[in-house]
Amino acid sequence: MKSDRRRSPETKTVEPELAAKALAKAVCEGDIVNFRLVFSPFSPARRSSTERFEAEKYSYLLPDDDLEGSMVFKEALQLVQKTETWEHIQKELEEKRPAQMPSELLMVLGDHAVRAGKYTSAAQAYELLRIRPRIQEEYLRQADAALDEGNIRKAVRGYRIATGLAYNYAAFPEPLPNVPDYQTRALMLHGQYPERPEDCVALQEPQSFLSTALSYLLLDAEAAARLGARSVETRVMFLKELVAQIDVDWNEFTERFHDTLQLAKEFGKRLEQHTQGRWLTPRSLAEEIDQAFGEDPHKITAHLLGREIEGGEWWQYLKELAYKHPAGVLFISRQSVGEREILVPRYRADSPVPAALGLLTKSG
Amino acid sequence: MPAGGRRQWSCSTAGWKIEYHFALSGKIESMSDNVQGYVNYFEILDLDETAKPGEVRKNYRKKMKDLVFEISQAQITEERRAHYLLEMAKLNAAFCLLRDTASREAYWNERRYLIELEEMWREAAARSGNAVESDALRREFDSKVRSFLAKYVEELMLDAGRDKECVEASNWDEAHERHASRILRYYRHRLYQQILERLPYYEVTPPRIDWEERQRTIGRILAGSAS
Repeated sequence: MKSDRRRSPETKTVEPELAAKALAKAVCEGDIVNFRLVFSPFSPARRSSTERFEAEKYSYLLPDDDLEGSMVFKEALQLVQKTETWEHIQKELEEKRPAQMPSELLMVLGDHAVRAGKYTSAAQAYELLRIRPRIQEEYLRQADAALDEGNIRKAVRGYRIATGLAYNYAAFPEPLPNVPDYQTRALMLHGQYPERPEDCVALQEPQSFLSTALSYLLLDAEAAARLGARSVETRVMFLKELVAQIDVDWNEFTERFHDTLQLAKEFGKRLEQHTQGRWLTPRSLAEEIDQAFGEDPHKITAHLLGREIEGGEWWQYLKELAYKHPAGVLFISRQSVGEREILVPRYRADSPVPAALGLLTKSG
Repeated sequence: MPAGGRRQWSCSTAGWKIEYHFALSGKIESMSDNVQGYVNYFEILDLDETAKPGEVRKNYRKKMKDLVFEISQAQITEERRAHYLLEMAKLNAAFCLLRDTASREAYWNERRYLIELEEMWREAAARSGNAVESDALRREFDSKVRSFLAKYVEELMLDAGRDKECVEASNWDEAHERHASRILRYYRHRLYQQILERLPYYEVTPPRIDWEERQRTIGRILAGSAS
C-alpha cells in the first residue's frame, strides 16, 4: 500500500468541510498563521498539494469537539461557508499562484485576535487590510472618551490594544508587529550609571516619572504623550491600572520590594561608606572585619528578583526583572559596590506613585 | 534633442534595461496622480530636473548650512535627533546623486520607470483583477520598488555620509551612521507603505469597510473586556 506521501496529487480529493472547519477555527481563534497556512502553496486544502488534513501533523488545524460545539465557531463557519466567500476560497485554492485571502474573514479574525489578546496576530490581519493605523486611532479615541468618563479600566484596555497593534517598520529585514521588549527597554532606562539623583528614573519628579513610566509600559511614546495633558491623579490611576493589567503577579513584587527596602537599609551604612570612598580602604579593624565577613550586598538584588543568578551581573538581574515585572524596573537604580554593581530599590518619598502601586505597604 | 522637447534616454544599470521617452521639462507626475513614496531628490534640494551640477552644490551647501544652524539652536530630543539625522542624510544623498550626470540620469529613469510600471499594474488589475497578467506585473513592480528604495534610500544615504564633501559640510561621522541605519530602514519602509497603500489589493480581496460598524465593534470589545 502506498503511503500518503507517495500518492499522486492528481488522485487527491479534499474534503471541503475540513477546509472550511480549518478556516473557521483559525478565524474564531484569531490565528493569522494557521489562516495563511490554509492558503499556502503546500496547504492540505489544495488539491495540487501532497499534504492532507487527515495526517496527524495537521490535526491542530481542525477544531476539537468542544470548539466545534461553541457558538463562536459556528458563527465563523457560517461566515466561511457564505456562498460568495466560499466560492472565492475554492477558486483561489485551485489557482497556481498566491491566493487572495477573503478580507471579510480577516476582519473577523482580527477582532477575535484582539479579544484573545493576540495583538500581533490582529496587527497582521489589519495591516493586510490596510486599516491598522485607523483601527489603532479608533481604539485610542474610545479609550480617551472612557478616560473622560472616568472609566480607567476601559481606557487602559483601549490604550493597551492600540499600542499592541503597532508595527515596527524598522524591523530587519521586513516590518513586523511590535512585541513587548521590556528587557531591552529596561536596559535603555538604566543604560547610564546615575551620577546625580535626576539621572535615576525612580527619583524623577512625578510629572516626568509618569511620562517615562507610561512611555515605557505602553511601549509607545506617542500614545503616552496623549496622556500628557491629564492631571497627575488621573495618570497615577491610569498607571496603577496599567501595571495591574500587564503584571498579574505585581503584588508578589511589592512584597519583595518592601522586604528589600529593609534589607537595603541594613546595608545602607556600608553603601554610604562606599560612596564616600571608604569602602575599599577600611579605617578600623571593625570595618575590615565587617567588609570581610559582612553580608553580601548582592543579596539585595537577588531578593528583589526573587532568585539568585550565580555570578549574575546587574544587567542580567535587570533583564529578568523587566521580563517578570516590567514596572519593577522603574523603582530601582544601579549602585556601585566595590568592583561590581548591584540593583537597589529606590523611590521618591514625595511622589504619589509608589504608594498608589502598593510599594510602601507590606500587604501590597 | 528631438522635436517637441522629447529626448530618448537609455538606462542599463544592473537589472534595469529601459528605453524610455519623456519630456525633458515635462512633469512625469502627470502620468500618475500620486507619486508619493518615490523619493524625489530634486525636490529635496529645491531644484528642477535640468539643474546644473553647480546649482546642485550651491543649494546643497545652503540647505545644509541652514540645517546645521537649526540643529545648533534646537534642544535635542530623541525624536528631533531622528528627524535631523534623516534630513541630513537626505541632503547628503541628494547632493551625491545629483552632482553626477550619469548617476542622476540612472536614478531618474528608474524612478520614472517605476511610476509607469505602477500605472501599468493598476490598469491591468482594473481590467483583469488578480489574473496572471496583473500578477506578473505586480511581482515585477514589487521587486523593482523594493530594490529602488533599498538602493536610493538606505544604501545611497549611508554611502553619501562617507563622501568627503558631505563629511565636510555635515560633520557626518560613524556615530551618525550607527544611529542612521535604523532610522533609514524605518524611512524606507514608510515610503514603501505610502506606495503600497494606494495600490490595488492583491494579498486580500478589497475590503468593504463600514467604519460605523467598526466603531461599534471596537466599543463592544472594550466594553466586554472592561466590564
